[in-house]
Amino acid sequence: MNPQIQKLLGKSGEWLASTGPQNAVVVSSRVRLARNLADFPFMTKAGRTQRAELHRLCREQLLGMSSARPFFYIDMEKTDQVDRQLLVERHLISKQHAFGDGSRGVAVSDDEAFSIMVNEEDHIRLQVIRSGLQLRECWREADTLDNALGQHLRYAFSDRFGFLTACPTNLGTGMRVSVMLHLPALKLTDEIEKVFVAAKDMHLAVRGLFGEGTEAIGDFYQISNQTTLGRSEEEILTEFADVILPRLIAAELSARSVLEQERPLMLDDKIGRAVGLLRNARLLSSEEALFGLSHLRLGVAMGRVANLTMSTINRIFLTTQPGHFQRTLGQSLEGEARKAARASYVRQLMTPAAG
Amino acid sequence: MKCDRCNKPATIHLTEIRNGKSLELHLCQQCAAEAGYLQQTHLSMNDMLTEFVKAKTGMSQRDALVCPDCGMKWQEFKETGLLGCPKDYEIFSDQLRGVIENAQRGATHHTGKTPTATVAPEDSVKLRQAELSRLKKDLTDALEHESYEVAAMLRDQIKALEAVPPTH
Ligand SMILES: [Zn+2]
Ligand SMILES: [Zn+2]
Repeated sequence: MNPQIQKLLGKSGEWLASTGPQNAVVVSSRVRLARNLADFPFMTKAGRTQRAELHRLCREQLLGMSSARPFFYIDMEKTDQVDRQLLVERHLISKQHAFGDGSRGVAVSDDEAFSIMVNEEDHIRLQVIRSGLQLRECWREADTLDNALGQHLRYAFSDRFGFLTACPTNLGTGMRVSVMLHLPALKLTDEIEKVFVAAKDMHLAVRGLFGEGTEAIGDFYQISNQTTLGRSEEEILTEFADVILPRLIAAELSARSVLEQERPLMLDDKIGRAVGLLRNARLLSSEEALFGLSHLRLGVAMGRVANLTMSTINRIFLTTQPGHFQRTLGQSLEGEARKAARASYVRQLMTPAAG
Repeated sequence: MKCDRCNKPATIHLTEIRNGKSLELHLCQQCAAEAGYLQQTHLSMNDMLTEFVKAKTGMSQRDALVCPDCGMKWQEFKETGLLGCPKDYEIFSDQLRGVIENAQRGATHHTGKTPTATVAPEDSVKLRQAELSRLKKDLTDALEHESYEVAAMLRDQIKALEAVPPTH
């Protein structure tokens, strides 16, 4: 195991601390910028040598970059599968970056506030992630990092199309603004489909927990802007953070108060079953854990569960994921043994707080 | 080369165009006959080649366009959705127009930040002026063609660009 990844294991990044604004609904905020070097082909047409040269060049510039936060660099080809999975679970790299092939890597700040992937779909994918609703803070930091990195790298840029990206859907600002929302009440009140339709009308993309191609488990959804050209970063941000998100958050909160007023028994039943499951299960799959954690999170956010904090929930949330779980237990278990170990681990975390 | 269906040496080589995709077949005499490819026995290899070339040129000129820098073909982009190099945005500019407008809610011009390293301040002023005159020309075009939605968007972009304080 990579010693630097091992250091990450003991804590959870700032974005999982859940101290951010609106954390009852907004788990995390993220701003991502896509950049390519002017003098190289995009990844699809970069051969082995060019790929390695790109990686060397970007890595060198990254390591020399001035940054307020200390960071380290991970070479993906020298990283084993479990560590890669772990980085995916911490939202530091994409699945594509983890399990693709060829020379590539990622710079990660010690506190996991930013990560910069080299040789993903674009040469550089820079992201800043924060807990709760903090999109402006994410953008400010991403902008600063981008400026620092761009000082010595010549980016592919045209005055007409802006930053040139491998896929025309990222063209212009190269900016993707996204939030991870927890929308359990909209699901319980059967209104979630309406939200998807509305999101589509507002030109938003809705994805599951781990991004593209993953399903929404445990009522967690990633919502992001789909257009990157024709509006400035500030305009994209303003529309997303000040117009779109407040509506989505308000919809979830109003669904919660409807449940509270009209169906309190059903609500407490769901929450109580989740508590029961996590506290008493003897065999627990990671999907079951997520499902239980979703309702438990709802209960804590609504003040209907005593003696449990958001940070405990986040901790269980992260450590029951397959990669983390394997590392935490320090062994690779299969089938029933793995489910049994997960159940006992979750029970431990649930019990002390329950006093 | 072995036959696609059995292990005998392939002697018949065909290119079929199915749903716009070319499919290569390598078959032995027997399998080719069974599959019905040998019914037109009068068709010589030369005729087959001519047929093939005809099918190829039948594809639009656009699909045959290749980027001299990276070798990307338009057909390839249509399959993967990914371009091969920055120059492709010029090489395939006609074809990409619709793709970009579709993906970007009709937007055609960048109005966000510019890179720190590549653009010196004087250049950026010049670039912005060039950009403004281009946008204004596009606006006139749009109004002439009564594309009011596009015109409104262009107007917004012009306004945004004019609002940017000049760099020092
Ligand atoms: Zn055969
Ligand atoms: Zn090219």
